[in-house]
Amino acid sequence: MLVSKNKGTNLLRSSEKSSLVRFLALYIVLVTMLLLLLGIFYYQSQEKLMFAEQRTTLSNHANSQVKALKHLHYEFPNNTTYPRDEKFYSAIYDIEGKKIFSTLRNRDINFGKEIYRTGDSIHFLKSLDDYYLGAKYLFIEVPEDLSWREETIRNIMTFGTLTLIVLAIFGFFFMKIFLRPMKNSIMLLDDFIKDTTHELNTPISAILANVEMMDMSTMTQKNQKKLSRINIAAKTVSHLYQDLTYLTLNHNRESKDEWIDLKQLLQDRVDYFAILAGSKKINFELDLKESALFIDGVKIARVLDNLISNAIKYNKRNGSIFIVLRKNYLSVQDTGIGIESDKPMEIFERYTRFNTSEGGFGIGLNIVKSIIEEYKLQIGVESIVNVGTTIRIDFVKGTIGA
Amino acid sequence: MLRKIILILILVSMEVLAISNTGVYERNCIPCHRYQPASLEKLFMEYLKTYSGELSLKGALKDFLQNPTEKNSLMNDKFIENFSVKDKTILDDKKLDEALDTYWELYNVKSKLE
Repeated sequence: MLVSKNKGTNLLRSSEKSSLVRFLALYIVLVTMLLLLLGIFYYQSQEKLMFAEQRTTLSNHANSQVKALKHLHYEFPNNTTYPRDEKFYSAIYDIEGKKIFSTLRNRDINFGKEIYRTGDSIHFLKSLDDYYLGAKYLFIEVPEDLSWREETIRNIMTFGTLTLIVLAIFGFFFMKIFLRPMKNSIMLLDDFIKDTTHELNTPISAILANVEMMDMSTMTQKNQKKLSRINIAAKTVSHLYQDLTYLTLNHNRESKDEWIDLKQLLQDRVDYFAILAGSKKINFELDLKESALFIDGVKIARVLDNLISNAIKYNKRNGSIFIVLRKNYLSVQDTGIGIESDKPMEIFERYTRFNTSEGGFGIGLNIVKSIIEEYKLQIGVESIVNVGTTIRIDFVKGTIGA
Repeated sequence: MLRKIILILILVSMEVLAISNTGVYERNCIPCHRYQPASLEKLFMEYLKTYSGELSLKGALKDFLQNPTEKNSLMNDKFIENFSVKDKTILDDKKLDEALDTYWELYNVKSKLE
């Protein structure tokens, strides 16, 4: 079996694109956070480097100030002028943390750190052994040279952005590689279905034609039941065949839109499924008003068939199907098992099924969705577990007949 | 004669009034330290260099004055050898605190630095 790209994989492409976008978004968010963290570490290391460079200079300033304080201490009170230096500002505090004298511009001091930034200045704290003038703590203040910070931020922005771009490109290719096995599996399934459908057509047509032609009046009741079962089974397979051929062959054909009498079409499809519904003792309750849609006949038939067959498939025995048709909308309600998912719209995803207890490929509602989207109709699902599911299609202006 | 007696009485009473108005520090510290080689000001600076803060300085000085020993004296061995350690204070706690407050106010550097 060939794994080839075909038009039937458009849906795969949209889900692949969605997965790709989600993965990339998550990946970029995580990578950005990681880069931010690295940026913070880099910034802190640069800050430490700057402090280390400043520490030597500030320590020299502090030593010269201590010498000046010592001189003043022994000259006091003959000399009462606090020593000042144009290279730095300073302050002295006693052992109890009380200010003795200060020329600092930034008064926000910290006794717990040796070197720190305050406002636009750097403070250096030296603890004195001899308390000249009663000073236990000497603070030295110099204006901060902000060039390191500008350079650091510029480096973070430049390298961060470049790294993010490179990692995003890597992420894109990694994602493609990770998705390839899934993509191949889905394409294999698509091709399998496509190839199989070709082989189903002739036998199903033969079975249905012959069943229709058989004269049931001459049969015994037992044989009539058997024939009815054959008819139901053949119609089920035929319905599946219709879906598969639509999906693989007709999906991309050009639409032949025309005014379709929905009431008439619904009655025909209900009649078609009557035997199938009868096998589960399900009765139809129809409330149909006149309505017409400008739409491709094959496509609207696929929509109705899938809604009705699902309503039968997932219904309880002795259940009911309520079909309401109005000018502006159509709703199909069953009394079945309902949908447990908190996101009922997910049932329209391809290969997603209401319930694995029933057979099928999970493509019916996906076909419905694709047709609904093609004609820009609106579809909604309401479902309560063990009560039933209602699917409603709202028609929009332009497709509705007078 | 009477004039001289009245004048002497006035001068004596003024002197008595002046003495009674001076503080504990002036009456109990200055008179002795006046004859010491280390001035009260130099001693204060020495205490300041050793104890830094107001509370620490006053606490250490009070401790020394109430219980003076060679160990808690700031003076060097030579000084102690020549002059010995001072006698224990006769002031009570309140008066001692008052004298220390005056001492601090008189010599602390905070208000003098410019």
